Parts: sequence; C-alpha cells; structure tokens
Amino acid sequence: MRPGLRTESRVFVALLLLCLSTATCLAASATAEQIDRGRYLVHAGGCISCHTADRPDAVPLAGGRRLETPFGIFNSPNLTPDKKTGIGGWTDGDFEAALRHGRAPDGSPYYPVFPYPAYAGINDHDVLAISAYLRSLPPVHNPVPAHDLPWYLRSRWVMLVWNLLFLDAQPFQADHARDAEWNRGAYLVRHLGHCGECHTPRNLMGARDDSRELAGNPDGPDDEKIPGIRQDRENGIGQWTIDDITLFLEMGMLPDGDFAGSSMSKVIDDNTSQLTGPDRRAIAVYLQSLAPLHSP
Amino acid sequence: MQHRSLTTLLTIATLAFAGNSFSATAPADAIKYRKAVMSAMGAHTGAFSLINFGRVEHPDHLRAHVEALAAMGTEIKDVFPAGSDTGDTDALPLIWQEQDKFAQLLTAVEKSTAELRDAVAANDKAATMKAFKAVGESCKGCHDRYRKEKK
Repeated sequence: MRPGLRTESRVFVALLLLCLSTATCLAASATAEQIDRGRYLVHAGGCISCHTADRPDAVPLAGGRRLETPFGIFNSPNLTPDKKTGIGGWTDGDFEAALRHGRAPDGSPYYPVFPYPAYAGINDHDVLAISAYLRSLPPVHNPVPAHDLPWYLRSRWVMLVWNLLFLDAQPFQADHARDAEWNRGAYLVRHLGHCGECHTPRNLMGARDDSRELAGNPDGPDDEKIPGIRQDRENGIGQWTIDDITLFLEMGMLPDGDFAGSSMSKVIDDNTSQLTGPDRRAIAVYLQSLAPLHSP
Repeated sequence: MQHRSLTTLLTIATLAFAGNSFSATAPADAIKYRKAVMSAMGAHTGAFSLINFGRVEHPDHLRAHVEALAAMGTEIKDVFPAGSDTGDTDALPLIWQEQDKFAQLLTAVEKSTAELRDAVAANDKAATMKAFKAVGESCKGCHDRYRKEKK
C-alpha cells in the first residue's frame, strides 16, 4: 500500500508543478466527472434561463437575454469561453470571485441582477465544477449590448456600497438539527436555485427581504407578480403536498391540472425538470418546512 | 315572374345562410365556453395525474379521463372564434394575429392527447409517462405564448 501511495503522491506533485507552469492547466485538470457535475449544477443554478437569448436559434449560455427590471434593462453576458465576448481566459479564481462575490476579473462589481448574493452560499466543490463545465463549452463569439440603466446606477462602483450593506458572502452552513434531505433542499432553494431572487420581496434598494423569505414579490422581473411559495393557505402553496410540488417542478402541472405559463415555465424547462427526483423532493421538503407567511 | 321569385328565393337563402355563418353566439358566451372547455381539460389532466402517480386508487377511471382529453384535444381549435378576443378572457390578441402558428400548437395538443389515450389503452406505462409529459409540454407551449398571466 505505502509505496504505491507514495508513487501516486509523487505523480500528483509532478502534475501540480506542471500545472502551475502552464496557463492551460486549469482547463486540462478538469475531469470528465467534474464537467458532468458542472453541467448538472448549471441546470440546478438556473444559469441557462437568463444567459440564453430569447430567440429560437440562440446558443444556450451565450448570453444576450434582455431582462427588464425595476432598476433598468440588463443584457445577460456570454458565459461561453470566447476570449473577446465571453469568459475565455478566466481562472477558477476569477470564476469564484464572480459567482460568490459579484466581482469581475478586473475587480469591478457586477449588478445584483446576477444573483451572486444567493450564489455566495455555493460550496467550493460546486463552484469548481461549474467553472470546469463552462470552460469546456465551445466558445461562441456573441457580443452583447450594454445595460440600459438609470443615471444613478450607471457606475458599477455604486454596487460596492450595496455589497457592504447587503452582501453576506458566507458559504452554506448545514443545520445539523435537520436531516440531509432538508439541508440539500435549503442549499438548492436558497443558494444554487436562488428561488428567493424572484419569490422573496425586495426592499427599496432592491435587496431581498429575507425576513419574508419566499413570501411572494408583487414587483417581479418582466412586470410579473410572483406568487408566495410558503405554507400560507390563501395565498401560498399551503394546500399543496410534497407530491404536488415535485410534479410541478418536474412538469409544470399545478394541482388543478393547469400548466404554468409565465417565467416559471422557463425555470421548469431549463432548471427544475432537469434535476434528479431526490433533488426535487428535497426542494419540496424544504419549502414545506417553512412556517406559514401571508403574501404581500 | 318565375325569374323574380327565383331571385327572391336565392336572396332569402343567401341571407339565411349568412345569418347562420355569422352565428348568433355572443362573444361573451364564446369566451365562457372556451373557459369551460379549458377547465374541463385541466380537471381531467389533474384527475389523470392523481391516478397515474398512484396517489388515489381508481385505475379503472383512467380510461375515461384520457378519452375525454383526447376528444377535447380535437375540439379546442373551435373555441377561439374570431371576435372572442375581447372581454373577460386571458387569451392574448396574438392568437388571432398569427393563426398559422397558433394552429400548429393546437395540433400538438391534439397529437399528444391522442397518444396519451392510446398509451393508456395499450396499458404501456412507459409510453403513458412519455405521452403525459408531452401533453404538459403542449399545454404549456400555448399558455407561454398566448395566455396572459394572472396579475
């Protein structure tokens, strides 16, 4: 055992040194397993819904979707590894800073329309897998128009103040009083799936009011009223069972047999229908555990 | 004389025919009927899924729900007559602006509901699951584009 182990570590150190000396190492060191996990996580993280243009011929993740928000019009960037218009040349470190801290490689802050306040809780393992998957995509040259924002938001640096006030970049901490399924659900809902970005109401400065987590948002994106998904009997999903929730996340069917249109239908197509059954169930378990809260 | 009475007859016939084709259905009733058909489709879909996923025990009812869905799948093309675009409806005007595209999506509903009926008749569980997903997709396909979401 021992000599074999030592040989393995020697090979590992040699590879590490080789890696450190080459720029392409990061991409090369991604394993197929990591890329596969990254693909799954990109679905779970809802990256595709926002980073794909609203055209039938749009390349997934190549950016260009127009997002109308109460804070201006945003055009989502290209996440394929194109050098000029995408994330070509990014390191894992660049990617981690973007995803969890909302910082571009040049240090300038992103706008929180990119849900980095939720993604801040994504664990290291998952950050690296997502990064590996995105860098494994074929690069697509797709320049995206600049955002169209009100004057007071035109400088990105304003967001540094916002981050100081509202960004809590702590990785997800499991609640050991709860079981693994609940914790998985909490991780998916609060962080990777960032459900609260639409379903939680926001304060005047556009930060999520987590004291009313998932209670519904009357001023959602694209001028939609986003329903509450807590256990409120009148206004939430208090009548839904775990099976109702999982079936909705899988197929978009509401308990009365209707099928959701609206922006949630995109989320179902690109995100929740692509999850494993146990992950959908974990989401349902977490949602059902939240105390009733009346929607605004 | 004979010529004149023939003309009169033709005129009456034409008027009667025209009156019939611009049928007396009030747009409000056309909308009510559309909503009734849509609710019925939704209700059968909901009932189907409760049985199909084993949440209630009425496997012998399954047939009735898919037969009804398949029948209504062929009828929904009739429930969007011209003139029924305004009033108490969530149907968007786009339906009447791009009839070809709309008709295509309705054909998908007709096809998927027929496939569901056939899969249930053949007692083929895998095909039933697949067809049910397709039914959902076809419903959603129209709702996404042509239904105003409730505010």
